[in-house]
Amino acid sequence: MNVGGIELIKVRENLWEIPATGQMRVPGRIYISQDMIEKGMKDNEALKQVVNVAHLPGIEKYSLAMPDIHWGYGFPIGGVAATNLDEGVISPGGVGYDINCGVRLATTNLEYERVKNRIDDLVAKLFRAVPTGVGASGAIKKLSTNDLKKVLTKGSVWALENDLGTSSDIDFTEESGTLKNADTEVVSQRALERGADQVGTLGSGNHFLEIDVVEEIYDVKVAEVFGLFQGQIVIQIHTGSRGLGYQVCDDYLKVLLKASSKYGFKLPDKQLACAPIKSQEGQDYLAAMQAAANFAWNNRQVIMHLAKKVFKETFAMTETELGFKLLYDVCHNIAKIEKHKIGKEEKEVCVHRKGATRAFPPGSKMIPAKYQGVGQPVLIPGDMGRYSYVLVGTDKAMEETFGSSCHGAGRNLSRTKALKYAKGRDIVKELKQKGIVIQAKGYKTIAEEMSDAYKDVSDVVDVMHKEGITRKVAKIKPVGVIKG
Amino acid sequence: MSRSYNFIDHTADIAVEISGSSLEDLFTAGAEAWQHSIVDEIKIEADDFIEIELSSSSKEELLITFLNELNYLLLTKKWLCISIQALKIFDDIDECELSAELKGIKVKNDIQLKQEIKSVTYHQVEIVDANGNYSTLVVFDI
Repeated sequence: MNVGGIELIKVRENLWEIPATGQMRVPGRIYISQDMIEKGMKDNEALKQVVNVAHLPGIEKYSLAMPDIHWGYGFPIGGVAATNLDEGVISPGGVGYDINCGVRLATTNLEYERVKNRIDDLVAKLFRAVPTGVGASGAIKKLSTNDLKKVLTKGSVWALENDLGTSSDIDFTEESGTLKNADTEVVSQRALERGADQVGTLGSGNHFLEIDVVEEIYDVKVAEVFGLFQGQIVIQIHTGSRGLGYQVCDDYLKVLLKASSKYGFKLPDKQLACAPIKSQEGQDYLAAMQAAANFAWNNRQVIMHLAKKVFKETFAMTETELGFKLLYDVCHNIAKIEKHKIGKEEKEVCVHRKGATRAFPPGSKMIPAKYQGVGQPVLIPGDMGRYSYVLVGTDKAMEETFGSSCHGAGRNLSRTKALKYAKGRDIVKELKQKGIVIQAKGYKTIAEEMSDAYKDVSDVVDVMHKEGITRKVAKIKPVGVIKG
Repeated sequence: MSRSYNFIDHTADIAVEISGSSLEDLFTAGAEAWQHSIVDEIKIEADDFIEIELSSSSKEELLITFLNELNYLLLTKKWLCISIQALKIFDDIDECELSAELKGIKVKNDIQLKQEIKSVTYHQVEIVDANGNYSTLVVFDI
């Protein structure tokens, strides 16, 4: 198949390869159905980015893309690339502006049928408790620079030490909520300023806090291990490192643009600015990015704590009665040093996941002991009017995608087009008729974020399921939505 | 002196084509597009000013640095730039420099921001000089 001049060779039903040509160091591989290519890839911009990434020094095996592939800055969204630690590079374009943007899902003992009349009340209280929207701030008191630096070093452990979380929350967070080599000395004063009053805030755009109901279970055994049952109320949070992460990315794009020129890299796109991982510039970015990632884990932890408090107060329940437990927290914008099999040997590589979720298999020592028999929970948010998915990681993900899967639906319409589609409609009322209560800072966000603006996330998770990269465990649907 | 900006459809973010009869006009057009993206028409007069001096290794990087400076002032200092005075750009082979006096206001609850621009990106930014008419695409990540 030819998409805008780029030849795609079918490897399997839902796997396509771009052969390595010219200066490409490895082939490109895209997990996607033919139907999704024909309907969703009207131009080849995202595919060109898969090709661009294949030029990066030290890239191993393939420049990969997940089925939610779409055009991004530098890497495509849905892009995965591993670079070796000897001559390989690290690039902020492989992580994104919102460092450690991610998702967490908490389970409760509550059943929808028993609480369905309280959703309006819950949404209103959650909206008051968790600051949302442009430049949202003030969820907790503004942190001193010293305290903020502790957040950047400790991640969600800072929340635990400040009575904003439990040790179980830490156990069920990817990397236990802390990347250990974070260094606050390489984070700019501007980044610190932008983050100081944003701990515990959702922000704007596609970030959200949702009350969901488990609608369908696909894998009873795994769902039981994850603590999921049909009709159960669960809470989903999607946000990242806020202004602090955006500033770190911005600061280091400048540094790495200079470095790219210094090390003689010819870049097809400035947003692919990079430096050798071993270089001072590469190490500084890695340490600053880890600090921002820690901020994000702590941010989601604090938001969950605020949400838990609202649930406890609303239902006048103790923590045990409520059974509010973090199922898992995953990041989908990150670069991490991990061990993977390259050829016959296992070696450390820097895995860039830009709009892709880690999906480690059963037996991995990198996931909580409770999940080692079944694999890592992989959380895939959809849109606010339909559904999201809980998946589980597999051995095949380790063999083929550096233990990675998809991350979400991806937009179908621009915000301007979404606003045109919404004209003359009452999206809040439409959602209400579907049993979904929504509250946002403004109606414009609701219109921009409506279901019609997004692709169907089930198409994305089905590709990963059919290819055996992740397996479907449960589908959850929203009943209460807080938007920025 | 002439300048313009024109938004083009973008699925996830905001893309705008800017042009101007000088680099100063081009940068001012970029600032106006940035402002239009985050606030509706401003009816309040500027009552404060900030002087800035920036430098970068190319005029493209300088443009992005300049627009990100406006974004930083808004999101962190809660200070909205309304107009740009005495803008001067020096475009040398190795280094480009900019100085300007920004006129603006401290943002309070009287101004509703339409959206948050995470950052002004380097994506596809390439300043083309067609016989003294400068133009480029700029993409805002939101």
